Amino acid sequence: MRRGGNAWSWFWMILGILYFFLPLLATFLFSLRARLGVLSFQAYQDVFTDPDFIYNFGYSVVWGVLTIIVGILIFVPTAYLIRLRLPRFRASVEFITLLPFVIPAIVFVFGLVRTFSQPPFLIVDSPALLVAGYTVLSMPYMYRAVDTGLRSIDVRTLTEAAQSLGAGWGTILFRVILPNIRVAILSGAFLSFAIVIGELILAQYLVKPAFAPYLAYLIQQRAYEPAAMAVISFALTWAFLGIIQFVGRGGAQAQIGGGR
Amino acid sequence: MRTNKLGFQLIAVLLTAAFVLGACAPAAPDVAKGYTGTVVKGVPQDLVAACKAEGLLTIIATPPDWANYGEIFADFQVTSGVKINSLNPNAGSADELAAIEANKSNKGPQAPDIVDVGYAYGKTGKDAGQYQAYKVSTWDKIPDTLLGLPAKDPDGFWTGGYYGVMALATNDAVVKNPPANWADLLKPDYKGQVALMGPPTTSNQAIQAIFAAALANGGSLDNAQPGLDYFKQMNDAGNYVPVVAKVGTIAQGATPIVIIWDYLAFGYNDSLKGNPSLTVSYPSPTIASMYVQAISAYAPHPNCAKLWMEILHSDEGQLAWMKGYAHGVNQADMEARGVIPADLSAKLPASSSYASAVSPSPAQLDVGKKLITEGWMATVGVEVPTPAP
Amino acid sequence: MTVLNNVERGAPKARPASPKFSWAWLGLAPFFVFAFAFLLYPSSTIVVGSFRDAKTHLFTFKNVLALLSTPYLINAYWLSVKISLVTSVGGGIFGFLLAYSAIRGGLPRFMRSSLMTFCGVASNFAGVPLAFAFIALLSPSGELTHILMALGFNPYYHGFTLYTFWGLSLVYMYFQFPLMVLIIAPAIDGLRREWLEAAENLGATSFQYWRYVALPILVPAMLGTMILLFGNAFGAYATAFALTGGQINLVTIVIGAELTGDVLGDAGLGYALALGMVVVMALAITGYTLLLRRTERWLR
Repeated sequence: MRRGGNAWSWFWMILGILYFFLPLLATFLFSLRARLGVLSFQAYQDVFTDPDFIYNFGYSVVWGVLTIIVGILIFVPTAYLIRLRLPRFRASVEFITLLPFVIPAIVFVFGLVRTFSQPPFLIVDSPALLVAGYTVLSMPYMYRAVDTGLRSIDVRTLTEAAQSLGAGWGTILFRVILPNIRVAILSGAFLSFAIVIGELILAQYLVKPAFAPYLAYLIQQRAYEPAAMAVISFALTWAFLGIIQFVGRGGAQAQIGGGR
Repeated sequence: MRTNKLGFQLIAVLLTAAFVLGACAPAAPDVAKGYTGTVVKGVPQDLVAACKAEGLLTIIATPPDWANYGEIFADFQVTSGVKINSLNPNAGSADELAAIEANKSNKGPQAPDIVDVGYAYGKTGKDAGQYQAYKVSTWDKIPDTLLGLPAKDPDGFWTGGYYGVMALATNDAVVKNPPANWADLLKPDYKGQVALMGPPTTSNQAIQAIFAAALANGGSLDNAQPGLDYFKQMNDAGNYVPVVAKVGTIAQGATPIVIIWDYLAFGYNDSLKGNPSLTVSYPSPTIASMYVQAISAYAPHPNCAKLWMEILHSDEGQLAWMKGYAHGVNQADMEARGVIPADLSAKLPASSSYASAVSPSPAQLDVGKKLITEGWMATVGVEVPTPAP
Repeated sequence: MTVLNNVERGAPKARPASPKFSWAWLGLAPFFVFAFAFLLYPSSTIVVGSFRDAKTHLFTFKNVLALLSTPYLINAYWLSVKISLVTSVGGGIFGFLLAYSAIRGGLPRFMRSSLMTFCGVASNFAGVPLAFAFIALLSPSGELTHILMALGFNPYYHGFTLYTFWGLSLVYMYFQFPLMVLIIAPAIDGLRREWLEAAENLGATSFQYWRYVALPILVPAMLGTMILLFGNAFGAYATAFALTGGQINLVTIVIGAELTGDVLGDAGLGYALALGMVVVMALAITGYTLLLRRTERWLR
């Protein structure tokens, strides 16, 4: 039944690949036109030798990973507790996690700047506010991913088994539950990372040297370099996600087939 | 377990990288990169010293490529030895005032010292108490009126710096016979080719473009409605492309004809270096619009801000703007004194080509803006999309 | 499952109940503190600003009333809801098919991980770069248009244009599909092969497998993800801005116009509009919860 379904799988996959790659290809072809009349990698040369690009992209990568970590530290225990102990809070927590979607980024950022640019919470200049903002923005994804992951494992049994073996909460969360929802966390992590790389408004108004504002600024001034930069950032982000997946891969394959 | 260790190692590496990046890397990229500055001699030296003591100048919404501001940044940095901190280059005039307001009690690098805003915001900011008065040492050389409007606030709260004229820029590779005036833009030759540089609901440039179109179609500075009707006509003819035009879309050919400030158009033409080349022409009649600069009432570095203003109105500053194809307010005075280099004069468009430019007063702008922003969706926009077939 | 229930009902708890309970509350504290400090409080400007006149700073209902009475604002909401519905349903379905194909469709192993990582990037590829990518592809001077024209077919003569509601929906899918793929993947993973084999052994047809085994498990997750997609499209701003420059009047664009840019807008109206968005989203979530409860009955 399912094995014969391969034809359909290929069909959807190829359709998907076409849809995703053609626009990127078009951007790429345009970026090759930086030199008049010839196809060349001039634009790419310009981008790679631009120290601002390297700095800004690196900046965003680092804060992206930090956001993932902060997200895991906050949302995994929360989702776990909701699932296991406090289902009454589920609705309100879910509503909160969906708020960043709905509150337009500009309103949220204005609010953040206003709140934290006055004493005693004058942290508007520190990167901590940036990470906090990024974590809030990635909250819908991260929380939902973690929740879906928890939904598909038997949290109660795992917890009780671990407890009966004498595990404390830290061990339960980070050595029993976390490895089992690794796949889910990875997808949440991907989304968080990509959000940080692509996030424009927060970084712009907090005046941090992140990648997206730099790209937006270049788009105002240049024609070919931004196209090259978009392609490069896409490729680099993809590579970084590949690395994150590799790092997180460890238990993923093992636990899918594992006895549950 | 192996992965856990690797994970921890990765985290450690990244945290270290974060600290290193934060500590060593340039705190702010050099906004004057690629520009050479000259020391401006005609500025009050006590201001230079006071600015050095303050140590920073924070500007906002001012990209280096806008009217060759980069050179003025460089001039400031070599004259004072102080770095410029550039906030949010893509912001609009309203954002600038909002930033002043939001950072009233913040003396950190988030608070702008100086703003460069559209003409109407001179009055708005002054009335809201967001500016502080300062008259530059060359105050008397700045004309009282320009384009029929005050070029400086009598009390010194804002000063006109330069003005731009609305022009048409055409991608020569895509459009073989560039349009020359408003009527041309309605011709079927230009189907799907004409765009604005921003949405008319938020972009000053777009609003002024519509205003200018109004002048050509029976309207006046008091009546912008014909402008909306003109664009409706253009949209119905299929010539209007709703994309927000950027250098990239002009070069790519999706928006080969744009209605744009002349200094931006000439600037893009220079940066594209012929790939493609742009033809810039002035339709008649057209609109000119002055940009004014003001010092924030809550500026953390007022002396640097004052020095900045001095440089803007020095010969070097005005020449820098002129090199960026903007029309400096002191131009007439500088011509009289003969300080404009001949090669620069040759590069600039002849003033006869935009002799028809007029400028709306703040009151007229207010009325026009309101009409355009509210009427755009009703007249030209897609309000309710047709349901699926 | 049955074993578990026995354990729950019969055996005494390993530790006394009350300390566990207080631990749980404490465990939720970081989340609530974080959410309050960095989301709820800063966003409270929405509520405060909606009921405040932007110029006089006095309490007023006029912003909210304007929302309910001005046609072009009501249209803006309708338009936003419409595009969100279209792209969440369309994105959800195709995204699911794509995810299922990659995970359970018998395709080469590397395709799954490549798809996941690609979707991670694509889910946030939005704004001007995305709009530009589609413009570079499908505008009258676009690559694909050129190819099609060389083949003798000019889509623009047949009324195709990118700069409409449907064009924008097509572009929105670029971040909707990946979002669906990424979030539904764990749920598809949870669909164990043993169930498929068991169903086959009992002689179930493909349709029966889906109707009685797979879908009841997947539908709650799918619905939940579609709400996410809905919210994602509902809050999207930069892409619509870049592609259709205010031609298509979405709520987020109107908010942007009131709060930023070169025109001094009415901040009070902007905040009221944002408040309206929160209300719409709350309604959507309520709808989803009701729908979820109904479909979860299938599971037990």
